[in-house]
Amino acid sequence: MFDGMNSTASALTAQRLRMDTAAGNMANASATRGRMVDGEWEPYRRKMVTMAPQDNRASFASHLQDAERESAGGVQVTGIVEDQTPFQSMHQPGHPDADEDGNVQLPNVDPLKEMVDVMGATRSYEANVTVFDAHKSMKMSAMEIGRG
Amino acid sequence: MVALFSSTIDQLHNGLNGAGLRQQTTANNIANVDTPNYKARKANFEHTLDAAKQQFDSRRTDGRHFDFGGAGDRGAYTSIDRTRSYHHNGNGVDMDKEMAAMANNQIYHSALIDRMDGQFSSLKTALGGQ
Repeated sequence: MFDGMNSTASALTAQRLRMDTAAGNMANASATRGRMVDGEWEPYRRKMVTMAPQDNRASFASHLQDAERESAGGVQVTGIVEDQTPFQSMHQPGHPDADEDGNVQLPNVDPLKEMVDVMGATRSYEANVTVFDAHKSMKMSAMEIGRG
Repeated sequence: MVALFSSTIDQLHNGLNGAGLRQQTTANNIANVDTPNYKARKANFEHTLDAAKQQFDSRRTDGRHFDFGGAGDRGAYTSIDRTRSYHHNGNGVDMDKEMAAMANNQIYHSALIDRMDGQFSSLKTALGGQ
């Protein structure tokens, strides 16, 4: 009975994580010391959230089982992956992390991309809140049966 | 169900179950609006209401016999529309459609609840309670 609410809750969690990840990326947009690799500082790498449906199983038997018990579904975060696009390079000779030629490696974070992600996450979050409200009011009105 | 309740209550019950399933399916679709390659699902249950309308009972002499027809025995099910893609990542959820379906379903659900209430209050009146 509360399965719909649970799947919406999973979406709210996932969207918030997406928002948090975008916020982390923005905050680290100029972090030149993200991770130590072989004694050298590597800049921060942009992170992305990957999602999959919760009932994402391949076998026929599992689908049959799902159909029988009308499984909840919802969404799950399958991982946080790092963006492998190359780092930006900027000529800044005075920088403590500059190489011999005076170039500094900067994170591969594009604030525009992050803004798009933030907007997407916000809209999806709002949509799911609407769904949650609808669900709640349906359940509450079902409680009223026979009271009148 | 007990003979005290009319078949209308049965049908309303089926409808409410269906509306619940549809709500759940819509919630799932909206939850997965950012999931790559997710395809929208649709709840089908009106056929159970039709089945309730045209009752056609089979005579079963053995527990292993199938019941053909019968009120709402086939139950509600969900189907997946694999042909549509609204996003570049293969996602097939149309947000506007889902929102409209949900609003529709809410009204349908509250209408059913209203009727259910009516049925019970009629029953109460018939039983002499005020």
